[in-house]
Amino acid sequence: MSLTTLVLALGWLAACARAPSGPLSLRAERSGSDTRITLIAAPGYKVNARLKPALELPDGRVLRLDSPHLTPDSAYFVQPPSALVPGRHSRIKGRLRASVCDPGQTVCRSVVVEL
Amino acid sequence: MPRSALLLTFSIGVVAAGTLALESSSRVQAQANLLLASRPDNRPAPPWKNESWLNADRPLTLKGLEGKVVLLNFWVFTCYNCTNTVPSLVDFDRKYRGQGLVLIGIHTPEFPPYAGEHDKRNVARALKKYHIEYPNAQDNESRTWNLYGIRFWPSFVLIDNKGVIRYEGAGEFHLNDRNYDMWDQRIRELLAEQQG
Repeated sequence: MSLTTLVLALGWLAACARAPSGPLSLRAERSGSDTRITLIAAPGYKVNARLKPALELPDGRVLRLDSPHLTPDSAYFVQPPSALVPGRHSRIKGRLRASVCDPGQTVCRSVVVEL
Repeated sequence: MPRSALLLTFSIGVVAAGTLALESSSRVQAQANLLLASRPDNRPAPPWKNESWLNADRPLTLKGLEGKVVLLNFWVFTCYNCTNTVPSLVDFDRKYRGQGLVLIGIHTPEFPPYAGEHDKRNVARALKKYHIEYPNAQDNESRTWNLYGIRFWPSFVLIDNKGVIRYEGAGEFHLNDRNYDMWDQRIRELLAEQQG
């Protein structure tokens, strides 16, 4: 990768970081021969652990994101849920669903992200 | 392109997609505040047409409930905020059913059927677990949810004996807390009108 490409990429990343953050963001990293995606909730938001987030792949498969670390009442994730997407991908396509709750407002809502 | 560049590009793409696709947290917060204000309303309740019911011998209709005060609770058993509110609703049902209140759960799934929320057996298990004896409609296609313009779980719609929506709101509450008292007062107000 050229230095110019790296600088442009980092600039783009910085711009994204400054943008108003939504209730969720996704982190992706290589894990062996697969790709691990992790769902990060913005401060104040919690991801409903009773309804595990789902990544619906274009071929019809559904991957559920999970974490063993939950609140004592098993209602929310304490550590961000994640899932392994088989294979190494430069880009993941699909639809991500999560039930996001804001304990301050005591409601849940459904968040759907087209990737 | 080297492996590191691929990974970086991929990560940036995913982060950007998520950032662009999701609503900003401030906007969501504002929307939630608006609904949680539990505003008074005054429009005719639209008739729901759910066909699958639990705790009811036959489908309940708005027309069939003329003269009654009706409290709709939009919920789903996978929603912790919803199930935390159930004891209060069970209490309302126990206190006011004999006075003309009809409490109806509108069970609206969040996810597609693979999550199990559409399965009537799972809903029945939840009703038993939470001691819910009032009627519940399965709203598996979210038709009633959309008809009433609902956006959050749990939500509430209080309809008077003339079929007019008088109060709407959203958000968990607990036995005898401030919001419980507010809904309790509203139910009593409409029951008094009904009997007056």
